[in-house]
Amino acid sequence: MATGTAIKPDRGPPASPPREWRRFKYPQSLYRWLGLLLALTFLSYSVVYLGIPLDRFINMFGRAGTLITDRYYPPDIEYVMDRDYLASVFDTIQMAYLGALFGILIALPLGWFGSHNMTPSLRFVYPVARFLTMGARAVHETIWAILFVTILGFGMMAGVLALTFFCTGFAGKLFAEEIEAIDVGPVEAIRATGASELSVMIFGVLPQVRVAFTGIAIYTWDVAFRAATVIGFFGAGGMGWYLKRNVLQIETTRVSAILLSIVAIVLVSEAVSAWARARVAKAK
Amino acid sequence: MTSATATADMVERIVAKRSKARITRSLIYFVLLALAAWCIKTTIIDDTDWERIGTLGAVLKSIGRFVDVDWGLAPNLWKPALETVMVATLGTLLGVITCVPAIWFGALNITPYAPVTYPIARLMMTLSRSIHEIVWALFFVAAVGLGALAGVLAIAVRSIGFIAKMSAEAIEDLDPKPVEAIRAVGGSEFQVFLYAIIPQVLPTVVGVIIFEWEINIRRSSVLGLVGAGGLGLVFFRQLNTFNHPGVTTVILAVLLLVLFGEIVSYYVRKAII
Amino acid sequence: MPILSIKDLRARYSASGPEILKGISFDVEHDDFFAIIGPSGAGKSTLIRCINRLVEPSSGQVILYDTDILLLGSRKLRRVRRGIGMIFQEFNLVDRMSVMDNVLSGRLGYVSNMTALFRLFSKADIGRALTILDRVGLSDQIDKRADELSGGQRQRVGIARALMQDPKLLLVDEPTSSLDPKISREVMGLIKEIATEFGVPVLCNIHDVQLAMEFCNKIIGLQDGVKMFDGPTSTMNKERLDEIYAMEVL
Repeated sequence: MATGTAIKPDRGPPASPPREWRRFKYPQSLYRWLGLLLALTFLSYSVVYLGIPLDRFINMFGRAGTLITDRYYPPDIEYVMDRDYLASVFDTIQMAYLGALFGILIALPLGWFGSHNMTPSLRFVYPVARFLTMGARAVHETIWAILFVTILGFGMMAGVLALTFFCTGFAGKLFAEEIEAIDVGPVEAIRATGASELSVMIFGVLPQVRVAFTGIAIYTWDVAFRAATVIGFFGAGGMGWYLKRNVLQIETTRVSAILLSIVAIVLVSEAVSAWARARVAKAK
Repeated sequence: MTSATATADMVERIVAKRSKARITRSLIYFVLLALAAWCIKTTIIDDTDWERIGTLGAVLKSIGRFVDVDWGLAPNLWKPALETVMVATLGTLLGVITCVPAIWFGALNITPYAPVTYPIARLMMTLSRSIHEIVWALFFVAAVGLGALAGVLAIAVRSIGFIAKMSAEAIEDLDPKPVEAIRAVGGSEFQVFLYAIIPQVLPTVVGVIIFEWEINIRRSSVLGLVGAGGLGLVFFRQLNTFNHPGVTTVILAVLLLVLFGEIVSYYVRKAII
Repeated sequence: MPILSIKDLRARYSASGPEILKGISFDVEHDDFFAIIGPSGAGKSTLIRCINRLVEPSSGQVILYDTDILLLGSRKLRRVRRGIGMIFQEFNLVDRMSVMDNVLSGRLGYVSNMTALFRLFSKADIGRALTILDRVGLSDQIDKRADELSGGQRQRVGIARALMQDPKLLLVDEPTSSLDPKISREVMGLIKEIATEFGVPVLCNIHDVQLAMEFCNKIIGLQDGVKMFDGPTSTMNKERLDEIYAMEVL
């Protein structure tokens, strides 16, 4: 590291400035302008191409306001207090629980194999694990739901499987990233004592990732639950089915009631997970 | 008390504590498993129409219908794929613009009046993240009609939560030293914002925006299901016409699109940081 | 006529907290290079920061060129601040900005918000920055990011930034704590040369008494918020030093 030029004891008046200075140097400046131009062109082109009605966008606020007051208010609370509906809410919670649980259980080894530093075989196992994780993640949970409904018919089995695949991808990536971030020192140390690979995992890796993994598990539950509330829309069981039915029948006050119930229950679930996360943070 | 008994006492205490911890943990696992078993029974076993599913062979045959790829469909997927990316990009952009007030209110060190504005911001963030994008899409379809606009709005609103939360946290983690320096130089609050706060926060914020854009591509691919165009619409059509290989083709297209998003995201984030 | 007059300055960090400065008074002439010495916790940092009101004093007067700074509103305060250059212990540069931009930010008190937003500094300013960067020996580092420089180089950027303000007073807060001894000496030397060359008085917190005695013409000794010594360097001796640092021995 250079310490710079020597400090000159310049006693006289300063000489004229050494040279010109420009903020943007060619060709970086050219690339910047081109990039910006390209981005703007793409954006305006998109708006035109997609046929986005800008006027409708501007008027949206007023229109949405009247729309909501005319047809969506008051929400049909009685409808959502119905026995069958509440049972479906309960189903939703159960589906989310199973989906998250199975997803996490599968994601644990998948994340391990998909982690750059801990995978048993970088050549074969690692790419396969990463591919599987990415594949599960790339497909949206609703697409999984539709696929499973097509194969297995309507019902919660399709929903649970869809949620499982979704959670596997979600948690798998996070687990792998967490494992890749560990300090390799303790792992080396345990290995040096001659312990088995399993022991290395338990004593070297697990203590470092335990807290983060619990956080990831809670986060996975959050997204699983959120997804579970809507997969019923596509026939995979849960309260989403009622949403679809009432949207199709244009029973708008019931729709608003259902939407409110979805929001309410997700907020409750988030409060619970926030509490759980705080407990975990305190305990560890 | 001799040192021997003192040590023996300590050992006893430690053993007791460890077995207590072990019992608690086993109990938790047991409860989780029991809960799972009960859920399995009530949801899957009881609810499923086992007759309709038939045998394992029938199921495998069902899956087999998807194993083929409809290559003829592939050329027709460029346009919807482009639409999907466009909707995702516009939606992310709109989300960024809209979440500026949420970020301002949501960072404890710059929020104007904490008791009121901070909870408002946190509420906005929570609502945005708690409601599924499909629900938002339904809402916006009702408000502005079918089409890409509903999709863009749904994505925009859905993205606010994550971007605002991460950005607010980045602002809360600021290093105060450059802020002090620019104040000392006589800079106005705006100049302090420009020269001390933005340079610190910008890499994180841009990284978060790109990350959310990549996720939005995934979301945008399904919003067609509720009428917002793009690959989702094609998916639906293929399904309705029972063209199962076509469905697989669309899913592959979605995978490729998401992969594209991830690659772009990786390189842009590397360039920014 | 002293450039700066501090009268009975008192400061505390919270209404119920302890008083950090307990009535400090002294004068600074136009050719002074003051060293403020004392044990940690004596209030040196607080004193320096009270002068440009980065810390608000609880009472007293800070009279710069016949104006009591403590009475000014925020706009006038900014005017005053732009005439006071400050050099920090941990350099306080914007790490991700280039050296040139960091130095240019010294003019922020003189330019409009628009100029600041688009970084449209005038040619005169840029020329001035180049000259100053040449003077502090950083001409070949202009476009490097601040966090790519060594500690000594970073402090010189801080000095350059202060010079860009065309200051009437230099406040220096422990310029050498984060630097090794040889670089410390160079930096102190540079500050002294520049102060003499541009005719700017300097108030400098410093914990290294050797450096203080070598470069400064007057010394203020603080202990526990109280001024224990105020006079020319020549009158400082071991007994007086021990008195100031008495607490440190314990």
